[in-house]
Amino acid sequence: MLAPSHPLQLALGLIVWSVWFVALYGGLSIGCALAPPDADLGARTWLNGLLAALTAMTAAWLVWQLRRCWRAARSRTDDAPNRRFITILSAGIYAVAAVSTLVIGIPVLGLPPCP
Amino acid sequence: MNEPASPGRDRLDAELERIWGNPRGWRALSVVNHSVLGLRFMGTALVFFLIGGILAMLMRTQLAMPDQRLLDAEFYNQAFTMHGTVMMFLFAVPMLEGLAVYLIPKMIGARDLVFPRLSAFGYWCYLFGGLILISSLFLGLAPNTGWFMYTPLSSTVHTPGSNSDFWLLGVTFIEISAVSTAIELVVSILRSRTAGMSLDRMPLFAWYILGMSLMIVAGFPPLILGSILLELERAAGLPFFDVARGGDPVLWQHLFWLFGHPEVYIIFLPAAGIVSTLIPVFAQRPIVGYRWVVLSIITTGFLSFSLWVHHMFTIGIPHLAQAFFSAASMLVAIPTAIQVFAWLATLWTGKPVLRLPMLWLIGFLVVFVAGGLTGVMLALVPFNWQVHDTHFVVAHMHYVLVGGMFFPLVAGLYYWLPHVSGRMPSEQLGRWGFWLTFIGFNLTFLIMHWTGLLGMPRRVYTYEAGLGWDLPNLVSSIGGFVMAIGIATVLLDIALHFRFGRVALRNPWHADSLEWATGTPPRAYNFASQPDCTTRHPLWEHPDLPDGIAEGKHWLANAGHGRRETLGTDPVSGSVREIMRLPGNSWLPLVIALGLAVMFIALLARSYPIAALAALASVALMLRWSWVNGLHPALYDESGAFPAGALPLHPHTFDGPGLWGMGVTLLANASLFLSLLFGWFYLWTVAPLWQAPATSPLPATTLLIAALPLTAATLWIRRIVTRLRNGTAAHLQVQLWGIAVLGVAYIAVLVQVLIAAPLSPTRTAHDAVIAVFLGYLLLHAALACVLAALQALRVRRGYVGHHAPYETVIVEKWWSYTLLTFWLTYGCVVLFPAGWGGS
Repeated sequence: MLAPSHPLQLALGLIVWSVWFVALYGGLSIGCALAPPDADLGARTWLNGLLAALTAMTAAWLVWQLRRCWRAARSRTDDAPNRRFITILSAGIYAVAAVSTLVIGIPVLGLPPCP
Repeated sequence: MNEPASPGRDRLDAELERIWGNPRGWRALSVVNHSVLGLRFMGTALVFFLIGGILAMLMRTQLAMPDQRLLDAEFYNQAFTMHGTVMMFLFAVPMLEGLAVYLIPKMIGARDLVFPRLSAFGYWCYLFGGLILISSLFLGLAPNTGWFMYTPLSSTVHTPGSNSDFWLLGVTFIEISAVSTAIELVVSILRSRTAGMSLDRMPLFAWYILGMSLMIVAGFPPLILGSILLELERAAGLPFFDVARGGDPVLWQHLFWLFGHPEVYIIFLPAAGIVSTLIPVFAQRPIVGYRWVVLSIITTGFLSFSLWVHHMFTIGIPHLAQAFFSAASMLVAIPTAIQVFAWLATLWTGKPVLRLPMLWLIGFLVVFVAGGLTGVMLALVPFNWQVHDTHFVVAHMHYVLVGGMFFPLVAGLYYWLPHVSGRMPSEQLGRWGFWLTFIGFNLTFLIMHWTGLLGMPRRVYTYEAGLGWDLPNLVSSIGGFVMAIGIATVLLDIALHFRFGRVALRNPWHADSLEWATGTPPRAYNFASQPDCTTRHPLWEHPDLPDGIAEGKHWLANAGHGRRETLGTDPVSGSVREIMRLPGNSWLPLVIALGLAVMFIALLARSYPIAALAALASVALMLRWSWVNGLHPALYDESGAFPAGALPLHPHTFDGPGLWGMGVTLLANASLFLSLLFGWFYLWTVAPLWQAPATSPLPATTLLIAALPLTAATLWIRRIVTRLRNGTAAHLQVQLWGIAVLGVAYIAVLVQVLIAAPLSPTRTAHDAVIAVFLGYLLLHAALACVLAALQALRVRRGYVGHHAPYETVIVEKWWSYTLLTFWLTYGCVVLFPAGWGGS
């Protein structure tokens, strides 16, 4: 597992978010092409459920990473300033990624998937 | 510290000038110095800007009154297409990259960019690509289907002439320039900052340019791929976008906007970098929320790739998918807002001085925030549907792009003018220029929102009287001319200042960043010695730093070796790792770009043998370019290069700038490959008449046989690298020849597959995409073989070995990438259809 002060942390949260976003949009498209749920079911379909679960898991992982970086930033105050800078910034990146995941994923709970 | 006895200031300057000085006369065409090239980029972009501006004036004259016949429909189509194309591809991106090329080494305390020949190559590609594109206007063959070239309008059926070809080939040529410059900027920022400039001390402008460059690297390849596919369709009949043969025109929209929306932020980020640099200087205090601003830059870079579908809300995408993109479009406003608040807080808590650049920054804040608000309106799907393709969208776009790019750009130009010329601009003329531009701009485009809300569609060359559009159009046209007078005033001010401007004092704005520690105008080598950076604000905390630098009190103050050198540092901490030897002036960038220009013109003329010859000649010259590298005598002087206890030269390391360059290049390459995969799966799932056989037409077993030599060669070169790291280089030359031979075996099998497979690339999109996959694999394999063979030759010459391992490490990355793309292609083209089944 990457250390909280590893420079890749500056991008990892949003890379994971990007992969989730591709999976969300791609999964929706493939789901609708392969086995479109009945439109009368509204948002209560297997596809919405799958996408919601994916969203929840991704957000949970991002929040966990946020917590990890934040705790590291608070506890390791004797780190080199540039390392501490990365850790704090990474916590911010994970926070942004988690919020973005939830905000973009919310429509899954209310809209039918394919029409 | 690698700090020899400090020579006298004059002697040091003379020595450095002898090494770094730029030749004059016709030899100036061989210059690779970043300051010269940055200014060339900006000067050329200015000329293209004027051409784009004239087209805009023609359009505004045409629309000033109803039923005008000044321009006919065909020329109007060409005018709006070329206006958008010129402003986006020939002005905005190259102008900002030019500014970055000029400023970045100075801001990070380096002597030049790390790949100087690449800067020159990028410039020449830009110039020739721009000339090809502009020539179409004079030939009456300019692109005429809008700057986003939607298919099928831009396809052969509806545009049989060369108009679309000029766009596709010209823009691709220019994009080579943009991507190569971006790669150069990324590596320079990460690896050549001066000693001690850790990430948290890096100037914000460098953060912004890093963000912009990485976005170009990831964002331009989808359009490059789209342009290649559309040109293949137009020239060779491969039907990627033809519904009847299994293609889909919406694929073009996806590929275009995958590039097109990030492009807005690619333009905005460096402009915001100018704002974040200037506001603290004129507020006379450090920026509020440095970390927040960096967070916003990174966030914007990623989020802006998730918005592209909001340009396609009206094409029938499922509501849920529209909701994803609508939410993402609103989210992206947040990092921008964070920056706006940081700027306002800096002004609020500082002691702002209203100098000329600040005036333009205030104009930026007003116009850009208004453009951002209409952007949030357009992110709402129902509103978007209402105003789609109306002048409202045109007005919004200009508020964002002119407000977000042009106003900060002029602020920056005024701010750095004294750096370039050593003279100050006229405050009075400059203020006239600002107010005329600001009033003219708002008169034109604020009113245009109403024109759009009144229902006037964009891209109509005339309109009837009595529809309610007469007055707003007249006002917009008058405003357009007022704005043009304003811009002319600014240009006049800039031109006059070179002759009549007051001589600038040293650091005339009392700035904090290192570019003002060079001379004004700067020497070709920027810094006689490279300073230690101990703070984010070196010139505020050490005002006498420029003297120490000029007197050679810092790093690399010894030029007796006669080579161009700059420090190589750790990307995070900024601690010094090695000395980078940089190549000197060269004709190769110009000649190679000329070869590519011949190739593109031959493609336009459909003279394929000439195009092939020009391409081969260009590749051969590129190999010559790669030959003069590392330990080549032109760069390496064994006698004084590696004294005991001194820093190593980069060819002696495993982590030189070339490795980083290859890494970023492969990122761009991967973006193109992923776009191709996206196209494959997109057509497979969405294209209405997709025709795929039940099993793949490619022979699975033969391809597995092809994989054997490729996999073996890649593992072999990886083993060589491991052994080099352990200090062993036995039989290196023979091994590299062996790897090249294995590569040739792989190519032979692949060619056999291509010939034997029952593919009809002109009959179905399915087979056309497979043909592109195979072509991609072949190209990569061929280059991998040539690179391995070249390495073997370089081992023989003594340029590569255990004492100089870094090139082999770079070549190994190419082989690994080639192997990875093979297996991904195998999975997607052979295994996936077997699981999914045909249709």
